[in-house]
Amino acid sequence: MKWKKATLVFLAAILLLTAVACSGGNTNSGAGGDSGTNAGGQPSDQKPEQITLRVAWWGGQERHDRTLEVIKRYEELNPHVKIEAEFSSYNGYWEKMAAQAAGNNLPDVINQNFGEYLTQYTQRGLLYDLTEFTKNGLIDVSDVDQSVLDSGTLDGKLVGISLGTNAYAAMYDPALFQQAGAEEPKLGWTWDDVDQRVKKVAEVADYGVDNLESNRVFEIYLRQHGYRLFNDDGTGLGYDDDQLMADFLKMKLDWVESGAAPTLDIANQHTSLEDSLIVHGKVGLMFAWSNQLVSLSKAANRPLKIAPMPGPNEDKGMYLKPSMFFSISNNSKHKEEAAKFINFFTNDVEANKILKAERGVPISAKVREAIKPELDEATQQTFDFIEAITPHTSPIDKNHPVTAAEILKLIDEIDEKVLYKQITPEEGAKEFRKKAEAVLKR
Amino acid sequence: MVTMDNNLNKLPVQTKQVKRKRKRRDYENVTGYVFIMPFLIGFFALTIFPMLMSLYLSFTKYDLLGTPQWVGLGNFKRMFFEDETYWQAMKVTVFYVLTAVPFRLAFALFVALLLANVIRFSGLYRTLMYLPSIIGGSVAVAVMWRQLFGNDGAINAILEALNLPTTSWLGNPNTAIWTLILLYGWQFGSAMLIFLAGLKNIPVSYYEAASVDGANAWQRFIKITIPLLTPIILFNVVMQMINGFMTFTSSFIITEGGPLNSTLLYILYMYRRGFVFFDMGYASAMAWVLLLIIAVLTALIFKSSKHWVHYESGGDR
Repeated sequence: MKWKKATLVFLAAILLLTAVACSGGNTNSGAGGDSGTNAGGQPSDQKPEQITLRVAWWGGQERHDRTLEVIKRYEELNPHVKIEAEFSSYNGYWEKMAAQAAGNNLPDVINQNFGEYLTQYTQRGLLYDLTEFTKNGLIDVSDVDQSVLDSGTLDGKLVGISLGTNAYAAMYDPALFQQAGAEEPKLGWTWDDVDQRVKKVAEVADYGVDNLESNRVFEIYLRQHGYRLFNDDGTGLGYDDDQLMADFLKMKLDWVESGAAPTLDIANQHTSLEDSLIVHGKVGLMFAWSNQLVSLSKAANRPLKIAPMPGPNEDKGMYLKPSMFFSISNNSKHKEEAAKFINFFTNDVEANKILKAERGVPISAKVREAIKPELDEATQQTFDFIEAITPHTSPIDKNHPVTAAEILKLIDEIDEKVLYKQITPEEGAKEFRKKAEAVLKR
Repeated sequence: MVTMDNNLNKLPVQTKQVKRKRKRRDYENVTGYVFIMPFLIGFFALTIFPMLMSLYLSFTKYDLLGTPQWVGLGNFKRMFFEDETYWQAMKVTVFYVLTAVPFRLAFALFVALLLANVIRFSGLYRTLMYLPSIIGGSVAVAVMWRQLFGNDGAINAILEALNLPTTSWLGNPNTAIWTLILLYGWQFGSAMLIFLAGLKNIPVSYYEAASVDGANAWQRFIKITIPLLTPIILFNVVMQMINGFMTFTSSFIITEGGPLNSTLLYILYMYRRGFVFFDMGYASAMAWVLLLIIAVLTALIFKSSKHWVHYESGGDR
């Protein structure tokens, strides 16, 4: 019996040891962060304490590589800081953030998206008000346009610093347009022009235009006609006439039926950007965010051009969107250091030379000037584009309610039903209103 | 063995003896508890607690970032009476389970029968047949399946080479669900192995006696194999039915619930409600409804088993 007792104690001890060892596994590899050689650059801070900063962002491999390089540079210039990078693709990013938010464990610096996410996180008090940093200069915004700062302001609080300016735009293949004898898109063209020209392009290529992302384009369409997607307090739709949506869907349906646009089953096979139909030379025109021109051009390996959205009233339709923000979480223990990092990201010319405006046109005019000559053709095009259309835009709609994700998905579902010919555009518009209002009233 | 006679307890000597025995038995019990403590801790912390939490949340409105607001039966009311998509998901999932599960089981039984009599390289064959189900639930296989059935995928390429008509397997609302059913059937490995074990348990002497009496292969199958396999069939039916209801990865990766929600499996819709729309209370309610459905179905299957399952020992359940 003594032997049994001894075995029991021994086994219990091993159990405890393994439990302790497992939990102690997340040792901060911080201690050896010093790079020793502080070759030039900013004078390192007087603070001797080691700080670990967690930075989270979403994106593709290209963005990850560039951002990691920038982080390395920051660590070299600030040896007392160690940055833990937490990156992922966009898919799954918000789920991860939600889980961390629930545990009051958000990273110090997080990517934020304009719209329902920024609204939601701000309403829940998860983001820190950065006004104090812009006022005391820790985040230098002297070269940043006020409208950019406004776009990151919600409920009077500056909750995010934009990382790049974007606009929804038309991307086209000039070679195909020339081949088809169709006039190239330019400011002032209308949806009727689009209709005519893509039908011409469809004669020389597989199709004329790629499937429109209805949940993005329809909002622009509404704005052009003087309406909004949501009403002021987000409790209802921002337009009353269902004919608007019916017309929009009818246009799309007509394109599919006339062969100017691919059927949905084909369009859905090419959901990743680098695999787009325009990259394969199968369409002449598509609509996407301006910063996506860079990836598209690279994948297509031939010149693609960018043009404004069609009108009429394109001024009311188009808007500048912050591509994404960097925000500081309220639970961060190193808010000042996080602010310094954001400042570095925004204003350091060398860092931006590494990033090459992959997240959108840099918000600092000084940075824009400094890096533009070093950029490739496609990125320079986006710079010119944003500059050219800025006077032709209206403020972005900030009234996206928390349930916006569901509404946007609804638009996709109705869009699908119409294009699969299950319902007519008019029925689709009515159904959308009925379902959307039910969601918004919740 | 000391019989617990009340009278004996009153006598001081016997009491002492009984007490000492109880101490040893208690001591052994304590040892047992200590050994299962890791499991118990995990079970309560990671299974029971989340389940109860989820039950609570199903009566609330909760978006993961704020605090849950009590809404009583609101989620259930919305689910059953106001949510078209929910019934679409239910319809799709029931169809999927009723088709994919028998398909997988039939396939598994068929392969098990083939393998039962193989002696050479039997281990190799078994491993190869089991491979799809090990890698089966993974994302990689789903992505591969998506490529296979894509418009420019391998299946269409083969069909073209044979001059047969090709179609958009994933883009057509009528065919998309069948690609998922096919994938489910392809992962028959574990069910097959269990059938194989059951088959090996049937004494060869039965078959010999039957063939001596003039029974042909089909009669042997119907009269001997099937009846003696019924306990295994019961097990597999219950397990695979539960599995079928919980399918998620394939529809998430291959078709994302489309086209036209024709492949919107229940768990996928639940995921979307919880993690895309941040409607956590509703998603929790969906989870509990599914649990009830599976529980009821399992109970029904078990009840019916009295009528079709033969236990060799003659014992009842």
